[in-house]
Amino acid sequence: MSVATRGTSSNYLQRAPSPSGLADVLDVILDKGLVIDAFVRVSVIGIEVLTIDARIVIASVDTYLRFAEAVNRLDLMQTETAGIKELRDGGSSGKKKAEGALEGAKEKIPGVGSSDKEKSR
Amino acid sequence: MSAAATSTGVYVYGIVRADDLAAVSAEGVSATSVELLERHGLAALVSRLPEGDVRVKRRDLDRHLHVIQEAFAEATIVPCPFGTVLASEGDVESVLLVGRHDELTTTLKRLDGSVQLNVNAMYDEGNLLRELLAANKEVAALRDETSYHAQVRMGELVAALVEERRQADAERILSQLLDVTEDVATDQPGEYGVLKASFLVSRKRVDRFDARLEETARMEHPVITVEVIGPLPPTAFARGL
Repeated sequence: MSVATRGTSSNYLQRAPSPSGLADVLDVILDKGLVIDAFVRVSVIGIEVLTIDARIVIASVDTYLRFAEAVNRLDLMQTETAGIKELRDGGSSGKKKAEGALEGAKEKIPGVGSSDKEKSR
Repeated sequence: MSAAATSTGVYVYGIVRADDLAAVSAEGVSATSVELLERHGLAALVSRLPEGDVRVKRRDLDRHLHVIQEAFAEATIVPCPFGTVLASEGDVESVLLVGRHDELTTTLKRLDGSVQLNVNAMYDEGNLLRELLAANKEVAALRDETSYHAQVRMGELVAALVEERRQADAERILSQLLDVTEDVATDQPGEYGVLKASFLVSRKRVDRFDARLEETARMEHPVITVEVIGPLPPTAFARGL
């Protein structure tokens, strides 16, 4: 999650006065607030398909492999201490690995808009 | 899902005390103006949506946020979730301002003088995994095996270690903040998330909360990074009864 503006400079804590990225904005206003009975609510096109399930991380083989890839990538970052074998193993698939693990759940948030016709952003 | 492609409706951003707020200048969703609909001392921040299909766009998320932020700068607000639309102004009055008057008054009182701070504590992937690797020989051994099975096993092991750590780390961070907050609402953290939570903090204690969080971030560095967003309107604490 990237936070664009930093309110105050500090050594360790990253501060932002207001959410800027899509995920942070959704965190604040989606499904948060006064609950109003569904039967008195009216739907607007697009809102009902604005769902967020990206926060759910499913424990699956896929997840395990991403962790494994991330562990393997450590070798690449520690070239000085890594042995020759590790370098060779890590290097063989390093590029693919680099793409995998950092692809956090946040990036998978769907666009806002009607699912069938419009993916407006 | 929406068979009725609604042509009109009244979009509701939130509820304030009528005396607390005169007007909102921020642009509403679908480029509408924002008005205050008053009844019995309460006021709903509303926009009359244009005729025809209304489609929400990315910028409408920001518009909603800006409206409640502008109101929050001057008044205590009970925010509504993004996309709250009622059929008519009459419905806003009867369902909300009259129908839930006492509940809204109570909620406003509870939220008086407080702000929301969203905290996100995340693992630094490299530093976390390096630590786990150093402490666990089985992972270190599996790392040298390249078979698919060994990779899955290693990932499974690491995932379990991360999860075990996550609970302890989240509890520790939370415990350092609870005595300077009024309330807390936690969210599901992401894959490398430790703790994702909204804190309701009295304005008087925002500085103390910030100092405590800064100290927490310093102690957890470099394995965990801590971000805070706010002060925000108390969206996570306005669910109602």
